[in-house]
Amino acid sequence: MHRTFVVARRVLNQLRRDRRFLAFSVLAPLLIIYFFKIFFDTMPQGFNTARYVVPIAAFMVHFLAFLLCAIVLVQERTAGTLERMFINGFRRVEIISGYILGYTALATLQAIAVLSETLLLFGLDYSWETILGLFVVIWLLALTSVLLGILVSTFARHEGQVLPFIPLITLPSVFLSGLIVDTDHLPTWGAWLGHAFPLFYANRMIQRITNVQQSYSIWVNAVILMGYGGAILLLASRTLRDVE
Amino acid sequence: MNAIDVSGLVKRYGALTALHGVDLTLPQGCIVGLLGPNGAGKSTLIKALVGALRPTSGSIRVLGLDPLKDKAQLRQLIGYMPQSPALYGDLSARENLRFFGQAHQVQDLEQRIAEILEFTELSARADDQVYTFSGGMQKRVSLACALFHRPQLLLLDEPTAAVDPHLKQRSWVLFRELAEQGMTLFLSTHLMDEALLCDQVVVLREGRVLAVDTPQGLLQRGESHIMLCAEDATVAMTIASTPAALAQALHSYGFDERFHTLLIDADSLETILLKLVKE
Repeated sequence: MHRTFVVARRVLNQLRRDRRFLAFSVLAPLLIIYFFKIFFDTMPQGFNTARYVVPIAAFMVHFLAFLLCAIVLVQERTAGTLERMFINGFRRVEIISGYILGYTALATLQAIAVLSETLLLFGLDYSWETILGLFVVIWLLALTSVLLGILVSTFARHEGQVLPFIPLITLPSVFLSGLIVDTDHLPTWGAWLGHAFPLFYANRMIQRITNVQQSYSIWVNAVILMGYGGAILLLASRTLRDVE
Repeated sequence: MNAIDVSGLVKRYGALTALHGVDLTLPQGCIVGLLGPNGAGKSTLIKALVGALRPTSGSIRVLGLDPLKDKAQLRQLIGYMPQSPALYGDLSARENLRFFGQAHQVQDLEQRIAEILEFTELSARADDQVYTFSGGMQKRVSLACALFHRPQLLLLDEPTAAVDPHLKQRSWVLFRELAEQGMTLFLSTHLMDEALLCDQVVVLREGRVLAVDTPQGLLQRGESHIMLCAEDATVAMTIASTPAALAQALHSYGFDERFHTLLIDADSLETILLKLVKE
């Protein structure tokens, strides 16, 4: 447990030092949300913008948390610091947990910034309970994305090997997890495939919290998303190699 | 107990065999140089010794322990400096040391950090970010990280590669000081002149051990080529590379019979360059 906090502290220390990385991680999604605002402003009157914007904000956090964590952990492998950590006695579970703690702090910052901008920019007038609920969902999704990034990085020897996973994991989730079209309109196999993406469960919770779709259960989807995260954690702690 | 006992060690990467049945026994308390050209298998052997590689076959005991089965115990006893600096560039030297030091839960952490920084002559730049350091200084930070927990055995993978002659000389003074403190050093190099600075030398080529000997023992395996020139004659001969053989060869040319050994210790080009830099 002590070493988990040592890793987390070091990750946070690095994030604090790398101002450019930190600025990119927070400002990039804000800029993209602004571009979405310009896009949605072109929609005809009566278009239900609220149906899409929070899930898109959630997707932005999901995408960046996944991408940044995957790349940074692969960098640890290529730089030799991962090997050095193992030889200095850090265990797999300690390294992964430390990364989760460190990057969850960043993901929290992203979730707060992105959600705040979305609510303000699109003039979404939600109650405090709704906003808190949305924040928790986006935060949970970010946490799962960090775990997914860690899992993917365990299969890559260098940054280049992470790249194919990015479209493979993030792009299908845009189309199959209910972000753009409801999964009921997809072919059966597509709807089922959508269940493989964490965004699917987050989107359902968002739709329920914002009263777009009443039939979705918050708790069921929250439990599934947490279980999904737990399963990835378990898998990542087995696939992260400490011996070549 | 030996520092290292390796028997029939084979490591294959697919079709490529990096180590072909390496047998090696090395005692404690000395500096052992692992010499060989690039691609000889030096890093593979060191990685297998520290438990970062799973051998294809063969057995390894380091300080009497199995690097894979007893890794938790062994990692408290060994220090490892990889070929690349393997540091966090955006952290300072002190922060890098603190991070790796905390893994070992060393008592009086800050005091130990100060000691190590002093020993490796890094105190003046302890709080600068490592990415601003020269390659040689990064190597010293990397060495400092490996020394933190006072290991019994230090495994260094090309610690002086790409380091300027002055820093290289200083590194060897450090290595000797560590050996005098009772530490065993096992270091790889592709620089043949560094063999002379070791107590024992292991020569590796294409994953096979070619020789295990003292530097003097290795030198005696060589030959010296002498040429004597006079106005009316030139004599060339090849003798054994020993000071005694040189004296003996010269006796027939009038060299005083009382002297049985003739040793010429000429400055190497590196020493000459170092002197010039210091001047």
